Amino acid sequence: MARKASPARLVIALSVAAVLAVFLLYTSIAGGGNPSISPSELGGRTEKVHLAGLVVGPVRGDAHAGGLRFALKDIDGPATARVPVSYTGSVPDLFKVGRHIVVQGRLVDGVFVAEPGSMITKCPSKYAPAESDVRS
Amino acid sequence: MTAVALAIAVFLAVAVVVYVALPFLREPEPESDALVELDERERRRLELLERRDRALAALKEVEFDHRTGALTDEDYRSLVGPLRRDVASALQALEEITTEDVPRPPEEEGQPVRARTST
Amino acid sequence: MPELGSAALLVTFGLSLYALGAGWAAAAQGKRRLAQSAQNALVAAFGTTLVASVVLLVALLRNDFSFTYVAKTTSRALPTPYTISAFWGGQEGSLLLWLLVLTGFAAFAVATKRRWERELVAWVTPVLGAICAFFAFLLVAVASPFATQVAPADGAGMTPSLQNPYMLAHPPTLYLGYVGLAIPFAFALAALLSGRTDERWLVATRRWTLFAWAALGVGQLLGAHWAYVEVGWGGYYAWDPVENAALMPWLAATAFLHSVMIQEKRGMLRIWNVLLVILAFSLSLFGTFLTRSGVVNSIHSFTQGAIGPWFLGFIVLVVAVSLALVFWRLPLLRSPTKLESVVSREAAFLYNNLLLLALCLTILWGVVYPLVSEALRGEAVVLGREYYDFFLRVFGLPLLLLMGIGPLVAWRRASLRSLVTTFRWPTLVALASGVILLALGAGSSIPGLVAYTFSAFVATTIVLEFVRGTRARKALGATSWPGAFASLVARNRRRYGGYVVHAAIVLLAIGIAGSSAFDSVAEARLAPGESMTIGAYTLTYRSLEERQTQNATEQRAVLDVQRGGRELGTLEAGKNAYTVEAQVSNEVGIRSDPLTGEDLFVIAEQIDPDGSVQFRVFVKPLVNLIWIAGGVFVLGSVIALWPDAREQRRLAARAYEIGVPAAR
Repeated sequence: MARKASPARLVIALSVAAVLAVFLLYTSIAGGGNPSISPSELGGRTEKVHLAGLVVGPVRGDAHAGGLRFALKDIDGPATARVPVSYTGSVPDLFKVGRHIVVQGRLVDGVFVAEPGSMITKCPSKYAPAESDVRS
Repeated sequence: MTAVALAIAVFLAVAVVVYVALPFLREPEPESDALVELDERERRRLELLERRDRALAALKEVEFDHRTGALTDEDYRSLVGPLRRDVASALQALEEITTEDVPRPPEEEGQPVRARTST
Repeated sequence: MPELGSAALLVTFGLSLYALGAGWAAAAQGKRRLAQSAQNALVAAFGTTLVASVVLLVALLRNDFSFTYVAKTTSRALPTPYTISAFWGGQEGSLLLWLLVLTGFAAFAVATKRRWERELVAWVTPVLGAICAFFAFLLVAVASPFATQVAPADGAGMTPSLQNPYMLAHPPTLYLGYVGLAIPFAFALAALLSGRTDERWLVATRRWTLFAWAALGVGQLLGAHWAYVEVGWGGYYAWDPVENAALMPWLAATAFLHSVMIQEKRGMLRIWNVLLVILAFSLSLFGTFLTRSGVVNSIHSFTQGAIGPWFLGFIVLVVAVSLALVFWRLPLLRSPTKLESVVSREAAFLYNNLLLLALCLTILWGVVYPLVSEALRGEAVVLGREYYDFFLRVFGLPLLLLMGIGPLVAWRRASLRSLVTTFRWPTLVALASGVILLALGAGSSIPGLVAYTFSAFVATTIVLEFVRGTRARKALGATSWPGAFASLVARNRRRYGGYVVHAAIVLLAIGIAGSSAFDSVAEARLAPGESMTIGAYTLTYRSLEERQTQNATEQRAVLDVQRGGRELGTLEAGKNAYTVEAQVSNEVGIRSDPLTGEDLFVIAEQIDPDGSVQFRVFVKPLVNLIWIAGGVFVLGSVIALWPDAREQRRLAARAYEIGVPAAR
């Protein structure tokens, strides 16, 4: 479209493209995003991550007093790594043993301390209904 | 159950084939089987007619905007000039095409054009 | 009767292929009867898809669990309305709905447009046939809703969050929007294929685009309201990939609706418009793909779903073929006119387009970023809320301002003086309301304050336009003020319908800014009899009640609400435990203030055996404006969509003038 067009249009298009490129680079490098990893990949990493895994019992404690405690393991694959998780804040309706969840937080002294209210459950069904992500 | 389902399915298939073949069944030997394609001249005329209508519509809108006060006199004048020229040039080009290679009597062709521009 | 369903789908597939093949041959060789036959095939395909849909619906209503799909999505205890909504609750059924709507639209579009646009429709037929063939193929070979099994005693039931009246309306409305975009896309491709790249295809599909766009908008608002009242996390939009899936094509379609006007008025942006409609349709396919394939969770889950690879392949094919066609027709797409000034309506619409597109692509980038980073770095990086919020402000606020400027600037070029007269009052009103709001303490959120100031500006321009227009109509001989107003709107429905839609967007902006920038939240664990306060509200937890319904056990905490010492009645918040599905859902309590549009929003986070409850309470100012905006949006869309007889007459007059006979 820009080939024979007036200079004004070209300038606008280019400037917007440039601004967009800068912003995208800025946000994707400087933050906004956290890696999303599985329990077996966590290892000893202590930076802030999204931890996605399957809930393993027993589930103990109280999310609104002292913290809910459970463990997460890989959703599939042979890895048997389990990460103990401590969580406070809203617990989604769908949370229970065997569910696929995502929490955001970091590893502190061998326990993954999730940020309050960061838990998201994913619908376990392969044929996920249209609005399967239930948040709280 | 299965037999009934299959019977309905067969009926459905037959009905569908008949429906799709309908244009051929209805007109086994039509006078013309051409999708009306415009020749170069008609196509050019259509483009000019569209240009004329577009300019006329724009002219009407500009008039109204001027009346409401959304357009200053100065802007109005600068807009109206080119639009009127656009209409005139489209009409003139149409006239030329019509007189170029006259396949139809001119009054039959020219009538609607004049009728529309007067409104 | 699963056999009948399968057979009907197979026939649909055959008909679609015929529409593609015969339609192509007819269009390429200019054969009238063959073209009509291909169009009939599209109409017949709608009929056969309807038969298949009825088979599935009957199976659902009869709880026929020998259909795998029925057993997977329903149970005996499920109330009938939700049994119907199970039609689109699963993958196979929703694909069938897609095909049903698509064939229905295709049949309707072909039947209504073949009179004046025969040459164009001849090419539209094979394009629509190709799209229908893809979906029919998926349903026949990859994800059949008519797979059978030995009937179990009861079905697996439905996810509780989907057991909701909104699920009756929200998905079908979205689908009307997604699928509706296929029609303008097909006409655009037909324009390219036939070489008729003038404004014809735009005029022919203007209402389709508007309809699809309105349906997408309404569908999203329904979804937002569903999330707000049912999912119960205190918000209405979470930048979830599934939500973004509908927002992206809507943004692209919004850009298209605006740039179309530039082409119609000035003959500019031909290539741009074709590209936009291709983008909008591709995004609508991508949206369906996102919600149906599970690719958003991870690349790994993508390969598990059977339809994912097919869908991705089809999207790639659509984009590749469309772009190849555009490239082939580039010489025909050169615009006869150019942009004359950067201060003109064309330019304003162009800025609007660029901003909308920038926002759309930013969201797309955010959606695919986890996949890109997983492919490149071996580790999925999720872009959070901050990312989207940031770009919504950066691109959305200028867009809001442009909405006030664009429609009032003159075409071609505007002089400084006219800008001053036009924008004097709106600017004054905007500044005044900014100062007042600042004095009232709205300075706590700068983006919120800016949004309000801009909203005041746009609202003033809209009111002024209506006032000036009505006055001019009255002066031109309308008998009464209401008469003048009605004739103003009737004479230019698109323009004034557009203003009404703009007013809806202003309401939406005010509601979003109010509820996200100026909300407050409090949490407390209360035993019966205890109270908590938030803002001016005092909530007292009275008692816990339990009742049994058809398919769930309901627990409700009853709260007394007071504001400033005045009793406002009671609120209930609690949880439902669903028996068959073995799941629990939050049921929030909401009290809306009809005067201020403010909501008090109570979640019972956790109910302990001793009867004490962990409450989470929000006060959300102005949030109800969002839902009111939905109504205004529909009103504006209907005004703009209403058939215009004059337009039809002009089309007919032109056809008459060049001697095209009224088609048989």
